[in-house]
This record gives sequence, C-alpha cells and structure tokens, in this order.
Amino acid sequence: MKGETLRTAFVGFLMGAALSGIGFTDWGEVHAMFTFADLRLLFTFMGAVMILALGFFLIKKLSKKDPGWRPRLVHRGTLAGGALFGMGWAISGACPSIALVQLGEGQLGALYTLVGIFAGNWIYGAIHERHLRWSTGSCLDD
Amino acid sequence: MQYWPFWIGALALGAVPLVHWLLLRRTLAVSGRFTALVDRLRHRDEPEPEAMSLDEMAEALREMVASEYGVDALETPSCGDDVPVADLRPPQTPKQHLAFFGALVLGGSISSLLAGSFGLTPTLHSSVFAEIAKGPVGSAVMLLGGGVLVGFGTRMAGGCTSGHGLCGVSRFQPGSFVATAAFFGMGVVTSFLLGGLR
Repeated sequence: MKGETLRTAFVGFLMGAALSGIGFTDWGEVHAMFTFADLRLLFTFMGAVMILALGFFLIKKLSKKDPGWRPRLVHRGTLAGGALFGMGWAISGACPSIALVQLGEGQLGALYTLVGIFAGNWIYGAIHERHLRWSTGSCLDD
Repeated sequence: MQYWPFWIGALALGAVPLVHWLLLRRTLAVSGRFTALVDRLRHRDEPEPEAMSLDEMAEALREMVASEYGVDALETPSCGDDVPVADLRPPQTPKQHLAFFGALVLGGSISSLLAGSFGLTPTLHSSVFAEIAKGPVGSAVMLLGGGVLVGFGTRMAGGCTSGHGLCGVSRFQPGSFVATAAFFGMGVVTSFLLGGLR
C-alpha cells in the first residue's frame, strides 16, 4: 500500500495527542485509577471499549469480506504475562505506548522505561524460543 | 492539571483504533510493534521478511508446515475461520513501526505544549511518583524495573492495553478478557502496595 508509512505516523500522532490530553501519561493519574481514588481514567477506558465494541461490530457487519481478525485465545502465558505487565504498569506508570508519549511531554525518565520494555521483550522472546515454545493459539503472531 | 473529561477521552481513545483499522486495515497493537522491532534486531543476520513477495511467503509457509506437521496438514485449515487471502498482508516494516513510535512522541509533545503541561524533567512530572521513588536512584530503579516487567509481560501475554484491553475486549476475545483482568487486577494490588511507601 502506498503512503502506508505516512498513514501509520498519522494514527500514531493522534494516539499520542489523545493519551497526553487524557492524562494517561501522568503517573499520579494512573495510580489514582488503580487505587480507585479517581474513576475518570477508568470511565475513559470503559467508554472507549464500548465505542470500539460498536465500531468493530459495524465494521464487521458492513464489510463485504471477513476482516480477517486473528483470534486472541487464552494460552499458558496469558494470565501470568498479564499479571507481570500489570505490576510493571503500576510501578512505571507506563504501558508500551505511554512511555513514548511521556518522552514527548518532556518526561525523560521514560527513557529508562523504554530501555526496560525493550529488554523485557527481548528476554521473554529468548526464553520462549529456547525453553517454553508453547503455542500462542494463533496462526498469525503479532 | 486539567485533563479531558472522561467522555471526551473515551471518544478520542475509542476513535484511535478505529482510524487505525480504517487507514491501515490492521488492528492496533502497540506491544506487537515492540516485538517486531526486537525480533528484527534479534534475527538481524536473517533476510528481512518484507523482502519476500506474498507468493514467496505463502510458499515458504507451506514448506514449513509440511516439514513440521507433514503434507497432510496442508489440506486441513487450522485457523478455523475462512480468512480471505486478499486480506492477508505482510507485516509492517521496521521503518513503519519507528514512524508510529516517532509520531507517538510528537503527538505527546504537541498535545502537551498546547495544554501547557510540557516540561523537561529527568524523571516524571508526577509529584506522587517523586514521593514514592524518594530520589533519582529510586526513580531509575522503578522505571527500569517496571519497564522490564511491562516488556516481558506484554510479550508473554501476547498484547498490552491497546491490543488486548481496547481492541481485544471490544471484539469479545477470550484471551483479551483474561489478560485485561490479570493486568488490571495486578495493577490494583501493586498500586495499593506502592501507596504504602508514601
């Protein structure tokens, strides 16, 4: 597809601007969400999921071909991986995209987070290939 | 700090994955982009996958399936759904992943400059974080250690907040429900424990 790089960057820009405006990049806001001190981010997230449920339903309904979405099944890494990620998110205040947006806001501590994310991803990839090798339940891996 | 009310945030956060699909015909999955870049570096001596045509890729896939599971496996589709071949597309290139990442940084800059929340700091803006980290060493340990857990966990679970939390849950994917419940639950537990350090 022509111009895909530009379109990819456009979506990234929208996402970065939105996450910053919402305050998902603010460690204190994320902490307040996880401790239920402030429900704003929680409602933001749940609202987005509801909009997406409608949006994806319509996309599937209106498209002539099957959109070809790969299934996301439960496998042996789902629960443990999710739990480790949740612990890391609460400590660093970042999920993968957030660390980059934080950097853009001048929060240079996110550089540590980014190095950590790359290292953690690398380590799991190596361990999985050498020792675990279980199926992730999908024909197309990310 | 004045952030967007939840309904504006929900509209914006809900729009991003939809725009991603409409413009790119791919579902949004940010940790998958990290994985793609990491694997490109880990296997940097091998030829780049995008250098192959779709036909070459299909042929290589058939050969791998045949050698791993025998020729019979080629006859029985193992993916369940009938996915039209036209919708199969090669993965994005490292350049495209980096373009997305660079644009995330830029989007954060422009948005925060307009909102007046931009500010250079060697740690994070949050005063609550500073209270808990108690200095530059604690801050670096929390960010680096937390980052490792994020990278390790998202790859192990096969997705993060975008792929599982937003796009997976809204399409009622079982793996996404489990992963989202796990990361949210563990986030709650960890945050209450961290709160005790204030």
